[in-house]
Amino acid sequence: MYPIQSPRHLTRRQLLQWSGLSGMGLLLGGCGATLFSDRLNQVVEPLNQTVEELLLRPDSPVPEFPISAIEPDKLLINTFDVTPQIDPTTFRLTLNGEVNYPMQLSMAELQTMPLTSMVIRHVCVEGWAAIVQWGGVRLRDLATLVQPKPGVRYVYFESADGYYESWDLASSLHPQTLMVYQKNGEPLSVDNGAPIRLASPIKLGYKQSKWVTRIFFTNHLLSQKGYWEDRGYEWFAGL
Amino acid sequence: MSASEPSKSLKRSSIPGQAVLAKTFHWVNLISLVMMIASGLQIYNANPVFGGRAGWHFPKVLLLGGWLAGGRHWHFAMMWFFAINLLVYGLYIALTRRWQRRFVSSSDIQALQVGRNPKRKMYARHRLVYTAIIPVLLLAIATGLAMYKPAHLYWLSGLFGSWQTLRIVHFMTVPIVVLFTVVHSLLALKVGRFRLIKSMFS
Ligand code: HEM
Repeated sequence: MYPIQSPRHLTRRQLLQWSGLSGMGLLLGGCGATLFSDRLNQVVEPLNQTVEELLLRPDSPVPEFPISAIEPDKLLINTFDVTPQIDPTTFRLTLNGEVNYPMQLSMAELQTMPLTSMVIRHVCVEGWAAIVQWGGVRLRDLATLVQPKPGVRYVYFESADGYYESWDLASSLHPQTLMVYQKNGEPLSVDNGAPIRLASPIKLGYKQSKWVTRIFFTNHLLSQKGYWEDRGYEWFAGL
Repeated sequence: MSASEPSKSLKRSSIPGQAVLAKTFHWVNLISLVMMIASGLQIYNANPVFGGRAGWHFPKVLLLGGWLAGGRHWHFAMMWFFAINLLVYGLYIALTRRWQRRFVSSSDIQALQVGRNPKRKMYARHRLVYTAIIPVLLLAIATGLAMYKPAHLYWLSGLFGSWQTLRIVHFMTVPIVVLFTVVHSLLALKVGRFRLIKSMFS
């Protein structure tokens, strides 16, 4: 789900440090100057993001696959650090930020809300993809409960392992953007993000945080946009 | 080289001239294609199409971007140059009817099948090869878009069946383009010697 951590012979931290030394970046990775590709990205990414925002159809669902198309072995497990163990009986999902009714919901409460199931293609930035069934609560239903204030434009997701992500509001309220606790007809496993994680067909895998503990609504993007985004990956990452 | 009568135009006396637009297209296409391949191979290495993470990886000298994020930045920046260049050229050859004069035609096919003039045959082969690469370039764009925006362009992705098929088809455009470059250069040399090559690059 998350992109690879580093090129093969360097750790990512080394790479970032080295490419930060001016000139050194040019020597890295064939003709691949990380420093320069970051610059390039600063120029082109706004254009690509504008196109992606124009393409986004916030209310129309992406066509789904039949149950028979599910590919159970294809969903690889990627984690940037540790796999947190969370007791689902004491777990609370916090929803706050610029909302009228901040709240904390237990798994039992989340499971009484309408269940949405979808069979979609999960696309990883690394290049692989898997057709997966996810079952859970629509994020837009949760938003209806807490009522974001008028100026809200972004939604942040904090995870128990320290991972963090931010999404544009329109993508977050898409009818297939779910907080899921089921995968392929079974309760979500710890490796896949139990007790609850994000899932959606309209964004790359690294946007779909596992082990989500807090969702907060905000008017502005913070300087920290997301774990992989802050290391150079694109923020919108729309499909 | 004037297209309608290639044998005449290849005489020493006539200096081959290429339209400025054709030369510009050729340069931009060449450079952007090299960058699309190098950044594509960088993306490939994150999770090889053949064999997954355990599969064979391309050596670093062929790569552009330094790591997956950098490779993607290059790929999705250069795609604009590559695709818009091809589009403008497409409009140009359609509007000027260059499409009918400068690309493979039924007379070339005839020359290949029953012709006896070896020069004419070589020229027909040359036209056939450079015409045939155009659908391959369009296929690279179509499969690229199908993987870049599979939710939005679900119908396009759906045409190729599985995701793996889509990746293989997109990737196969690389060896085809590389092979084409070799054959195309050799044929151009045979048809018009170095003067023809120079006419396209200067
Ligand atoms: C507008 C044109 C293009 C677009 C939108 C595009 C898009 C993409 C995307 C989204 C990927 C990642 C695929 C994945 O997740 O597995 C990719 C990979 C790649 N692209 Fe392109 N591409 C385009 C043109 C080209 C061209 C012209 C070439 C070279 C002939 C090329 C060579 C590659 C290669 C070698 C890969 C790695 C294959 C893989 O890992 O799946 N691309 N491209």
